[in-house]
Amino acid sequence: MIPIPKKGTPERARLIAEHKACIDSMKGVAGCTILRCATPGDTTEVSGGIHEDFLLNRVLLRMRAMNPADGKGKLVVICTKIEKEWRIGRLAGVRGVPPTFVGDKIYDNEQDPQHDIFVMRLDEMEEFDGYPEHFREGWKRRDDNWTRT
Amino acid sequence: MCAMRLTGYADLFGVNPGKTIQFYVNCDGPKNYKAEIVKMIHGDTNPRGPGHIEEKVNADCDGEYPGRKQVIYSGSYGVLADNRHLQAESVTLQCWVWPTMPKTHPKYWKHGAQGLMTKWCDGKGYGLFINEEGCLEFRVNGERITTGVPIRDHAWHFVAATYDAKSGKAVLFHEPQIQYALDPEIPPVEKKLGVKIEHTARVPFAVAAYVDRLDKGALAQASVPAGIVMAGHYSGKIDSPRLCDRALSRQEIETMKLGAQPGLTERRHSGPTGALSECIVGSWDFSDGINTIVGRDLGPYLYDLQIVNCPTRAMTGHNFSGHNFDWKHAPKEYGAIHFHDDDIDDARWAVDFEWTVPSNQKSAFYAVKLTTSKGDEDYIPFWVVPEVGKAKAKIAYMVPTISYMAYANEHLANNAGGAELLVYRVPIMQDQNMFLSEHREYGGSIYDTHTDGSGLCLSSRLRPILSIRPKYDHFLMQAPWQYPADLHMIYWLETMGYDYDVITDEDVTYDGLARLEQYSVVITGSHPEHNTGSQLDALHNYTQQGGRLMYMGADAWYWVHSYHPAYDHLGRGIVTEMRRCESGIRTWRADPGEYYHQGTGELGGMWRYRGRYLHSVAGTGMSSEGFDISSYYSRTPESNDPRVSWAFDGIDFDEKLGNFGLVGGGAAGTELDIVDTMLGSPPHTLVVATSAGRHTEAYLLVMEDFGFNQQGLDGTQHPRVRSDIAYHETPNGGACFAFSSIAFCGSLPWNKCDNNISKLVGNVLNRFMQDGPLPPPPADAFKHRGRADYDPPTNKKRK
Repeated sequence: MIPIPKKGTPERARLIAEHKACIDSMKGVAGCTILRCATPGDTTEVSGGIHEDFLLNRVLLRMRAMNPADGKGKLVVICTKIEKEWRIGRLAGVRGVPPTFVGDKIYDNEQDPQHDIFVMRLDEMEEFDGYPEHFREGWKRRDDNWTRT
Repeated sequence: MCAMRLTGYADLFGVNPGKTIQFYVNCDGPKNYKAEIVKMIHGDTNPRGPGHIEEKVNADCDGEYPGRKQVIYSGSYGVLADNRHLQAESVTLQCWVWPTMPKTHPKYWKHGAQGLMTKWCDGKGYGLFINEEGCLEFRVNGERITTGVPIRDHAWHFVAATYDAKSGKAVLFHEPQIQYALDPEIPPVEKKLGVKIEHTARVPFAVAAYVDRLDKGALAQASVPAGIVMAGHYSGKIDSPRLCDRALSRQEIETMKLGAQPGLTERRHSGPTGALSECIVGSWDFSDGINTIVGRDLGPYLYDLQIVNCPTRAMTGHNFSGHNFDWKHAPKEYGAIHFHDDDIDDARWAVDFEWTVPSNQKSAFYAVKLTTSKGDEDYIPFWVVPEVGKAKAKIAYMVPTISYMAYANEHLANNAGGAELLVYRVPIMQDQNMFLSEHREYGGSIYDTHTDGSGLCLSSRLRPILSIRPKYDHFLMQAPWQYPADLHMIYWLETMGYDYDVITDEDVTYDGLARLEQYSVVITGSHPEHNTGSQLDALHNYTQQGGRLMYMGADAWYWVHSYHPAYDHLGRGIVTEMRRCESGIRTWRADPGEYYHQGTGELGGMWRYRGRYLHSVAGTGMSSEGFDISSYYSRTPESNDPRVSWAFDGIDFDEKLGNFGLVGGGAAGTELDIVDTMLGSPPHTLVVATSAGRHTEAYLLVMEDFGFNQQGLDGTQHPRVRSDIAYHETPNGGACFAFSSIAFCGSLPWNKCDNNISKLVGNVLNRFMQDGPLPPPPADAFKHRGRADYDPPTNKKRK
């Protein structure tokens, strides 16, 4: 399996820069992916990102496969004022327990938190996070976790 | 934290002019709220579109109403009103159990002991429980005896308890059906309690719960029985419960497993033996009346249980042999009910106000808008539907209400690891998701699993459904989905000045062809995925006799649904049922032997596996899905065929069709349909535009389209990951136009409806809505066509 690049490595810096460029180009799209729009906010032509950077692609898959309760809780975006304000939160991993907010930062668009979460996950995840020794079965074990069925 | 202090629902989805609709509102905090009937035009707040649009109706029910809190008592159980036989001095309780969640997390919303068979409340009475530590426990008043052995989850156990008033001795039996090699023995536990069972009047006997309190308050009126609030909801299966009014020996308990024996000839007693028949209080057989909400008692007193909140029935019992998968053919192997602590069939709230719809009220999307002076807001959508046979327009919009119910109150952004591998980004939650993540009692969707991890296969509309709301972006697409997405089409119809009627899945299911035949054209929702058989019959009969169908989305006609007949007394379409069987896109998977609906007894799963191919209804069927971004279409050479070229009047051949939109940024996105003549597309189908080759890695081929896993199934690689816009004629001057993408209608409002998608849809609708049969195709279009021969390569050519 492919490790998550450590702090201070050129690979890490490259992933962050590419992710940021993709997210910036997605502003205005009613959706989001880690690809670059040739015209910002327009998905007619997309390239780069996960289609061309194999390491970025695999690191993102590992991040997306986290369990809700992994680490301090899986990060999510929460819209607090429709079309105006968004914040970052964490899932509890326990049914009936709602997500909690992380920090005080309020975003004025729905794409920027995607990038901040990517960077937070790079910081929080161990190099070998998600390897087989961390695997927990999901299906029928009340986790309802599509990532580990 | 975010919270919704206003929530509500109506007693109807569709209401006829002249009829009355009732509204139930929970106003948790504010002293009063304002209610206004509004006509819904557009529900998408995206600043690149027209924004939220509603029109005030000025209804006579508009006004200020006093706010009151209303709560939901979810969790299923069986209940029998108190009676003198239940107030026994000595007892034997016995049943089979298959617990799914014997021990819960301390933070879990219903953490604590679970009742199996109880007539117990507040330290008085008797009952068999699984205690907080996950061990079998027998309670007599405040006395508790336990095996101290954690009961294995997802396994059958025979459990029993006896109490003899004369000797004061209690015995508890826990006998697992499966004994693994290293499982320690579980001997019966005996203890002398020496107490007299105390009975609290009005405390009922319950299966899968116990009585928390008798409560005269207004809130508790929504519980069943009213004023009696249950707790300790059990999650798991219970099979063959028996209650006797004396302490049986172990040998007698074994015989009592047979239960009352109505099959004996020359009857002298209810069985299983003469002596045992004299001590039976209740001998319940859940294999009798699977399609009901009654737990049948075969014993002498006919003490049927009322089954509350619609647990899952037609579930395999402890004796399932695997030879029959249809409960109707082997009912005795289906004696289990699977109870869940989050089942809900009816919120049972008190009515707050009602509206008698004026007889001249236009058929349309409506809602009650609820607001407070503190900024609280909620909408309760409903539809004014013409009476059957009294169509007012040439166009009918068929609201996919079964699909709305299937998606009702889904928790996937919270539970399913954010479903992030599916949506290919971090999900965005809204107030509705936050509220539901805390208020599990509002129930889940058919996409969720129950809190115990088992599949959720029943959904009721008699509860607030917070996903059927305007101004709600779904985590799947970071854009509207289902109800608010369907308003994209409604906005377009309104803006372009078309006169239309609105009908729902309910109407078509119950009224059949009579619901459709007066219309020149029927327009579908963006994602009518969940359907009853009679609805599909009606659509086929309609297009066969010359009706025109505009299929405005994708992934339709996919899952088998049925309305549960046990709720017919409350109205049409109260509870819908669906089972996720051997294939299809399944957020959970039914267990072996549990494929047949409990309500109608029909085989569940995909219509495809019942021999009704999706592609046969409107010409295309689902082949892939992805939820990151959308793309666009190009015209194919077949779009110039005179049979269909009229659809492209005013559109250049080289135009990019729909490279804009409010769902993913393009018309071709989320879930995509294609033509496949081997799966039901008529061989004369014309592919007029395609998005072939334009989708991202997030888009994947559906699993029912491949037989084994291999690389190359994503949108950057697999040729079936595409959307085909397609046209075909039906007999008697009918036709189908399939637009084949859920994101498609999100392009209609773009640039104030001045765009090439709007032009295309307008051309199709103008032709389809004309009176009488459509003009016949050219004579040379009539020819013999094979199915496997159909494969025009130019249709998939990349631009």
